[in-house]
This record gives sequence, C-alpha cells and structure tokens, in this order.
Amino acid sequence: MNGLTNRALWAAGGALVLVAVAACTPGGGGDEGGEGGGELVWAIGGSEAQPGGVHQKVAEKWSEENPDTPIRIEILPDEADQQREQQALELQAEGSNFDVLGMDVIWTGEYSTNGWVESLEDVREDIESVSLSGAFESATWGGELWAAPFNTNAGFLYYRTDLVDEPPTTWDELCEMAIEIGEQENIGGYVGQGARYEGFVVNWLELYWSGGGELYNEDQTEVAFDTDIATQATEFLANAEQDGCLTPGFNTAMEDEARNVFQSGDAVFMRNWPSFYSVVKDGGTPVAENFDVAPLPTFTGEGTISASGGFNLAVSAFSDNIEGAKEFVVWASTNEEVQTMLATDASLPPTMESVYEDLSDDPVMALLGEVLPDAKPRPPSPQWNEISVEMQRALFPAYNGEGDPGEASQAVLDFLETTVE
Amino acid sequence: MTATTTAEEQQPAPGGSDKPAKARRREMTETTLGRVFVSPAILLMALVALFPVIYAFVISLQAYTGRLNEGFAGVDNYVTALTNERFWTSLQFTLIFTVASVAAEFIIGLGFALLMNQAFRGRGLTRAAILVPWVIPTVIAAQMWFFMFNVTPGFINSLFGLGDFNWLGQSGWAAFTIIFADVWKTAPFVALLLLAGLQTIPGDVYEGARVDGAKMFQRFWYITMPLLKPAILVALLFRTVEALRVYDLPQVMTGGAFDTESLSILVQQYVVRTPDPGLGSALSTITFALILGIGLIFVNLLGKDLVIGEGESK
Repeated sequence: MNGLTNRALWAAGGALVLVAVAACTPGGGGDEGGEGGGELVWAIGGSEAQPGGVHQKVAEKWSEENPDTPIRIEILPDEADQQREQQALELQAEGSNFDVLGMDVIWTGEYSTNGWVESLEDVREDIESVSLSGAFESATWGGELWAAPFNTNAGFLYYRTDLVDEPPTTWDELCEMAIEIGEQENIGGYVGQGARYEGFVVNWLELYWSGGGELYNEDQTEVAFDTDIATQATEFLANAEQDGCLTPGFNTAMEDEARNVFQSGDAVFMRNWPSFYSVVKDGGTPVAENFDVAPLPTFTGEGTISASGGFNLAVSAFSDNIEGAKEFVVWASTNEEVQTMLATDASLPPTMESVYEDLSDDPVMALLGEVLPDAKPRPPSPQWNEISVEMQRALFPAYNGEGDPGEASQAVLDFLETTVE
Repeated sequence: MTATTTAEEQQPAPGGSDKPAKARRREMTETTLGRVFVSPAILLMALVALFPVIYAFVISLQAYTGRLNEGFAGVDNYVTALTNERFWTSLQFTLIFTVASVAAEFIIGLGFALLMNQAFRGRGLTRAAILVPWVIPTVIAAQMWFFMFNVTPGFINSLFGLGDFNWLGQSGWAAFTIIFADVWKTAPFVALLLLAGLQTIPGDVYEGARVDGAKMFQRFWYITMPLLKPAILVALLFRTVEALRVYDLPQVMTGGAFDTESLSILVQQYVVRTPDPGLGSALSTITFALILGIGLIFVNLLGKDLVIGEGESK
C-alpha cells in the first residue's frame, strides 16, 4: 500500500515537472499555428492578472469566442517597474514570447522609440471613436497610435460628509476647511500621496495643472513649463505642510497609507484613486457611512483636473501573430461587454466613453464620467522615468522646507529642456 | 614520505647533480596536483563572481542612450558619476550608515555574546530568541519597521506617547530609523559570530588569571579581547561589506528621501528604473572598488591573526 502511494506520488511529481517544463519552454504554443493561428500570450501584471481577476476573465471570454487564436496571460510582477523590466528583457532580445503587452500609460514613448511595439494607425478610427480622449492621448506618441486604451484612472477628492457640507472647489478653500475642522475635531486635515515616489509627482502635477500649467506643448516638441505656476503649486504644499493643513505623515504616505489615515477617521480630506471607494465603504469603520467623493479642486475654482493613469494594450513588434494580437487589443478596447466587466468586476475605470452612461447609477462611475473628460495623462515621453525622478528630487525637498520652491521649479525646467531636441 | 625515500634509494643514481632536480620535480607535481584539484572551484568562482565584475567594467566604458549602445566612451561615465553631486550625497549616507550601524551592532552583539556565553538556565532558549530578528527577511523587516515608525498607524509614537512625531519624514531621523532597523536585524548575527569566537577561548586561561588576582574588567580586556580579535575582525568584515551595499532598508522605509539614498539605490536606478547601463555599471564598479578596498584592509589585518597564517610561517 505504502509503495503504491509512493509511486503515485512520484508519478504526480513527474507530471508536475513535465507541465512546468512545458510551460517554461520558450514559445510554448506561440509558434505552433504559424500564420494567423496559435495561442497568443498577453503579458500583464497586477492583482487582476491573477487567477480569478478580471484580466483572466477577459482572456477566457476571448478564447471562447476565438478558439483558433486563444489567449493566455503571462502573469508579470505586481510592481510597475518590475513589469517594465520583465517586458524590456524580452523585447530587447527581440523575443516572440509576448504578443500583447499590458503597458502603463507612461511607457508609450519609451516602447515606441525602442521599436518594441507595432503601430496601430490602421485601426485608429475604430479606437478613437469610442475612447475617452485623455486615455486615447496616453496611447499616442509622436502623433502616432501605439496601443489600444484598456483601463484608465483618475484622482478623487474623498471627504467626510459628517464634517463637511459642501466639498471645496479651490485648493485654498480646502486648506481653510481642513485646518478649521481638523482643529475642532482634533484630527488631521488633508492627506494624499506625499512620499517621494511617482505618486507624489502625480499629486503635484494635479496642483500644477489646476493652476493652468503645462509640461510640453501639444505635440511635445517644446517645453511649456511655467515656473511661476510651478512655484505656486510647491509653495501651496509647503505652506499647507507648515500650517497644519496636511496630515502629519503626509510626506511618507503612499496610496495605502493615505487610505489608512482617512479610513481610521484621522483626516477630513483625501486625494486617492477610485478603487479605494469600495475599500473604505466595506472597511467597517465609522467613516464607512460618512464619506463621499467629489472632483479635485483647482486654484481658480473653475472645473477640475486630474492626472490619469491606467494600462493600454500594445502589440509586440516581435510577435509571431501580429494580426491576431491586433484583433485582440482592438476587441478589448472597443467591446462594450469587456469594458463594462472592468468596471463592474474590478472597479477598474474603463476607457470606453459609452460605458459611463450605462453605469451612471454607480456613484464612482458617475463621478468618473464627470472627471475623466478633464483628466490629463502624464506625458508618455521616452524619458518619463528620468523626468519623474528629477521632479521628485527637486520638488520633494522644496515642499518639505529643505529647498527653495523657486529654485526647484527652475531645476525642473532645466531638466525638461534637456529632454527635447 | 617513507615510500618516496625508498623509491629514490632503489633507483641507481646516474649523477649526483640530478638528485635535487628530481626532488624539485616531485614537489612541482604535488603543487600541480593541488592546482588541478582546486581549478574546478576556481573556474566556477571566476565564472559566477569574476565574470560579472569584468563585464560590468566593460559596459561601464560604453556610452548608452536609454538601452541603446552608442559605442566606446572611455572614462566618460566615471567622470559623470564622480562629478554628480548625487553620488557624493549617497556615498556620504552609505558611509554614515556603515560606520554607525556596524559600531552599534558590534557593541550590542558583543554584549549579547558575553551574555550567551555564560552558563545559565534557559541559555539555549535565549540563543534561539536572540536570533529571531536575523532570520526575518530584510525586506519584510524593513516594511515592518516602516509601519512601526510611520505616523500611521504609529506604533512607536503611541508606545512612547510621542503624538505625531514624523520619524521617517524629516532629515536626520529618517537616517536614524534605518540604522536602528539594521542594528535590530543584524546585531544577533554579530553576536553569533562573536559567541563562536568566545567558545574557543579555553576556560583555564581565565582560571589562571583569577588566581593571579585579575579583576573582571582586566580579564575582559587582557584575555577576552585579544583572543577574540580574529572573530571580531571576521564579524566586522562581514558587516562592513554588507552595510556598504545596503539597498532594501532605505528603499522600503524612505525610498531614498531625506538624504537616505544609498549607493546601491543609485546603481539600481541607473540599471533598472531610468536605464543607462553605462553609468549604472560605472557606479557599481566604483561601489565594488570601494567595498573591495575596505575588504582588503580587513583581510590584511586578519591575515596576521589567522591560525593558518601562523602555521605557514613556521
């Protein structure tokens, strides 16, 4: 009996090894069909790429409808930087293992400049006609379309309905309310993403853009950086830090730390992504019943502005089945059912405009529908990572009282100048 | 040796002058044989350790735009690295971190080691308990101390009633928390190394000293410390080399903010985040040279104390 169990175990182990080896074999499946056939591989990361996530459901749906070119997800790491590194390793070696690439909105320039992705100009019409303009813009570089928008993202102002009657429309108003209510209730005021990382650049850009600033001109050939508006944005943060408008620990907070502060009732306002709505709502703290979301304020009180995020789907230039991969990305970007699934299954904001009208009963989707038309992508320049690092290095000390806001603006301008020919 | 002598005796000697040459040849064969035995290990070491170092050096002499190679660049990357103010700031932090953390770890580790070297009830349990921090992966320890020190949830602040003290969000204290976390994690490792050294000191030396009327401090200073010197040097060597290439603690706890950017964070940035393989390799070669230099100083000091060294000189 024992011997038999052992043998069964060995057999099972052997089978597992075989499966693993097959899965690891380069091009496993991708090359089989030759022209226009065979399995597609979609390299994407994050929690939704895991089994049970919405990306997996999208892949299953496609495979059911297209049994000739089924698609399989190659799960990449959680961190965006690591996902980029994995894709870069494959693409730099001109490997054909990935057909469809889940591409962060800020990588468009780098990937297209390196010749890693196929141009989607021939299907531009199909995509442009149904996508949100900000999301569409993030998939273009140098006037050419390089990816199909898949999901987008925008910042919300979360506020406490038990403490605030009307959400503020200007940043100054926000700070006045934050300080006054914060002192009354003995809690912090405004929390966002203030740690030195990409998220801080996003938060700072929302201030800068809301004052009317731009980084580049329309086609990104010239720098349009306004040092006065930049200094105003940095000084606003520096003052807010000084006079207690920002919660203690603002400058070490990322998305989840900010959520933690707000959820435990230690802040009046929070800037965060829409996906945290359900987290706070289901969090079981007293705040769950006493908060709402609003568009982010501006300096003038006119309109709203938000930095957009999200992922686009690109077709690898080294794919063995470029046509099949192209069909998939267009489908994922323009199929109403797929795009609705993103919103309803995962609270990932879709890029298809019409979905927001259908889902207007949902408070998050309704507000997204309102905010997204005014959302701006960070410039998807090939040098975005360098730009972001330099902005962090200049602006972060300046708002923390360790540098001069004016000099910081000048440093950012000087660096941006080096990024255009 | 006996077999060799008899073999030589049995052989008819063609000439007297031939004998020393033969002996030399035999000696050579033994050395050669030793080399043959060692060569696979050396080859393997060269493959996994030396090759990347040389390869990085070769890359550091190339110019890159993004990931695209643009040909030979000479020492341009080194000039860029050494004239960058950022390099010097991160070098400064790395050195401060190394000196402060190694010093604190040595003192605390020595205390632990002396404690664990005493015979008392529950010694085994104490030894195991002291090692717990060292067993925790650094990234997890870093994340844990981030939570402990950060304003939210603020465990340390509420424990000591410090209100909303922003440990990680201001200059000086940010570096302190990173050094603190490193000492917490690695002092046990130093303790373990020193304990191993302590246990090689024979007990009768102490008995003799006690008979001669040496006080506790004298016994420590004139017996323990000199006899422990090789173990201390090994511990300091390991710790210094490791501290010089610190990456995970500052990366996770502060992301390099408030002048807590280490050399390795800088290297990682140029190799991965904002790729410039040439500059990244130049920075990592400089880091390597620095660590090698400091390592060699220790090995030199150590060489005089090593038992093997003594055996050879006899």
